[in-house]
Amino acid sequence: MIELKNDRLVFNFPEVHPTATADISFQRTLRIPDDGNTYPLPAGLGEFPLSHIEDHAAKVPADMLKRGGVLMPMYQSEALWLNFSDDGYPMAIKVAAGKINAVTGKPWSDALAEQPQDYVVLPEQLWLDGYNVGEDLIRQFVAMPLGEGYTAEEQITGEAEFGGLQLIVYPMKAEVYYKLFETRSVIDDDMEFLDIPAFLRRPSETCESMGLAAGGLMRQEIYEDEYGMDVWDTESASRCFIHLCNSVDYAAITGRKPPHAPYTSKDYAQNGIPWFDYYGGEAKPLPGSAILGGLKSLAQIAKDKGEVIWGNETTNVGKVKVIKGEKTNSVSEGPF
Amino acid sequence: MLGPYLRQRREALKAKDKCYSLRQVAKRVGIEPAYLSKIERGEMAPPSEVTLKKLAIELSLDADVILAMAGKVSKDLQEIICDRPELFAELLRHMKDLPDHAVLRVVREVTDGDW
Repeated sequence: MIELKNDRLVFNFPEVHPTATADISFQRTLRIPDDGNTYPLPAGLGEFPLSHIEDHAAKVPADMLKRGGVLMPMYQSEALWLNFSDDGYPMAIKVAAGKINAVTGKPWSDALAEQPQDYVVLPEQLWLDGYNVGEDLIRQFVAMPLGEGYTAEEQITGEAEFGGLQLIVYPMKAEVYYKLFETRSVIDDDMEFLDIPAFLRRPSETCESMGLAAGGLMRQEIYEDEYGMDVWDTESASRCFIHLCNSVDYAAITGRKPPHAPYTSKDYAQNGIPWFDYYGGEAKPLPGSAILGGLKSLAQIAKDKGEVIWGNETTNVGKVKVIKGEKTNSVSEGPF
Repeated sequence: MLGPYLRQRREALKAKDKCYSLRQVAKRVGIEPAYLSKIERGEMAPPSEVTLKKLAIELSLDADVILAMAGKVSKDLQEIICDRPELFAELLRHMKDLPDHAVLRVVREVTDGDW
């Protein structure tokens, strides 16, 4: 089952194990420039608000209701990353945007695939910032309106049908867990409210569906499953559709104030927010997806269309904080 | 005990990252280090709900759990109960002895539809 708790999706599998729980939140972050340079990881700048889609039944399209899940506001051209946390109980998680798998670039399927691996594994994977375009390299998730040709979904399928984010979570089989076993900083969201630039004020009559384009390049590893396919409990999966809604429409739909406008590189630098590099220890990274590696980036498409992406100037990376990964749930077994 | 629990958690984080020193955590939460020290040693009454929630975020702890350890119920939960007091009072009394898995069954689930 999935609960919505303090703007986090909490995947519980009490029928498998009392600690079989995974929290997934969606972090606001700096959109790194899409300028051909490779950037380190930007910090989390607070969680996106989430609400049950059924709470807005009167104001969202029927397609959204039919899919269930949660509603999340994003500004056009705003970036996000997925923050994973757990109680040490291993999970396999598939992540898709517009029903395009973010690890392989292949169309959505509920089942896990091994060749190529189409999922991430907790607790090794702490976060996911974008599409897997190369080994140690992702292109940042950036929200864009569906129908304008920017999203990975539209580039790969030629259709603008789903948008949003999709997740399915599989816990490790309890018997395997019993046999084997018994953070990136989030910056306080205390910056001053930034007024919404006029170009972001694009209210529509209903909820403008958004999808995720492939933004700037970032160093991030997506790790190989060290356990193997057989350990995942395929009978106990839970899945969720996260509908992305233009932040300005969000106010009209929910009656709640949308989050303040996204941070710019200038805000980020002025507030001395650090960047991060993560080294996952012995964990082996997956190769990039050729499909996703072939995507046109946000800036490339904008250039083709003669459009301008705001705030895409090359930025100087300031202080980079290095985080070293370590295994936290390994318990050695001796003779007994 | 709330204080030792907070201290244990902060010290565990500090072992991996020095930015979880008493002084730096207090600064980020917006309180004096001496005050945080007294809270951790149980020499002061628990701080306000706002401060407890900031501490929970800072230390990656569940705010509801921290508040409960401080003998408090968060304002949003109070509002929910006060909005429909008879219904929620009856519901909570009815559920108080149920095992966790039974309580989880009545928690509102995020739906999964056709996609």
